[in-house]
Amino acid sequence: MERRSFRAMGTVVELLLDIEPGAESDAALARAEQEFERLERLLSRFRPDSELSALNRLGMIDAGADLVAVTTLALQARERTGGLFDPTVHDALVAAGYDRTFENLSGDGPPVSAQACGGAVRIEGRTIELEPGFRLDLGGIAKGYAVDRAADLLGDVGPCLVNAGGDLVALDRSWPVGVETADGQITLALEDGAIATSGTDRRRWRRGGAEAHHLIDPALGLPAASDYLRVTVIAPTATEAEVLAKAVFLGAPVQAPTVLVTTGGQTVLAGGLG
Amino acid sequence: MTDHVARLYALAVAVLVFLVAWAAVADRPWASASTATPDPRVQALIVKQQRVRTEALAVQRVLAARRQQAALASTTPPPAPSVRVVTLPPLTITRTS
Repeated sequence: MERRSFRAMGTVVELLLDIEPGAESDAALARAEQEFERLERLLSRFRPDSELSALNRLGMIDAGADLVAVTTLALQARERTGGLFDPTVHDALVAAGYDRTFENLSGDGPPVSAQACGGAVRIEGRTIELEPGFRLDLGGIAKGYAVDRAADLLGDVGPCLVNAGGDLVALDRSWPVGVETADGQITLALEDGAIATSGTDRRRWRRGGAEAHHLIDPALGLPAASDYLRVTVIAPTATEAEVLAKAVFLGAPVQAPTVLVTTGGQTVLAGGLG
Repeated sequence: MTDHVARLYALAVAVLVFLVAWAAVADRPWASASTATPDPRVQALIVKQQRVRTEALAVQRVLAARRQQAALASTTPPPAPSVRVVTLPPLTITRTS
């Protein structure tokens, strides 16, 4: 078993590869790590030189294949979730105080103000155009996309697991994965699937003396008020799991695939675990 | 030979000469002389036309195969992940992202 950890996309990424250690495993792990770095350089809203920052600054660019792919996935997710998942929450996130990497957020700041979401995004070929006054945040879905791409690269070599701070893919064998619950942890044996968890128990800060967090309700343009503390979804891909976890947290009906929800006091199985 | 007979002979000869000349003109000997060395630009265009037709057929075949694959993909949902609760120690832990 080969294991490698590194920091990317504002979190710790863990790669596990179940083959004999050697040159092949080293090369595969290096390729997967480079893929994370490459996608972060393209898709981070915190890097002024990223392709996403150029799009947000200019309103229209001829983008590379990855930005077009992730934006397309995000728009399809917005359609599928009736707008609960929305990539145009950038300004609402900034107004909520999430205007720099989470590690660099200050202790407190001005009160949160609502910002309009749901802006139009047009994709034609490789051209992406934003409605004036709207910008994109691809944070969560970009991380899910990177996890899926890294798992594709490692999966060519052998059974693998990629875990980027909670967005996780397990391929080609059963992998025991710990999932946080309200009162501890359970272990799920996951094979050929992905897990993502959305919640307000980690990325939170204070603005105007009140708690704020990163899960924006696009209908209000403000950090969402949810009955849940945390929602964990198991789905075929990390991208899909990420979208569904956020949508359920924001009020989408709980249906299959597998969903675990945690309220303040307990974690319950809300559907699907067979 | 009377003048009348001589005129008839003359008329017959004239008709014969006219028909021979007509046949010679209808044969268009100059046309065969010009097509004996075809214009290379025309030849190149003919070759190009054939190549474009072949390529168009190949593209249509690829498009048809891709449409078929897309139709299959849209009707076949991805397999559901296998997951169950176990008592093994975890190899990794997933948290709120």
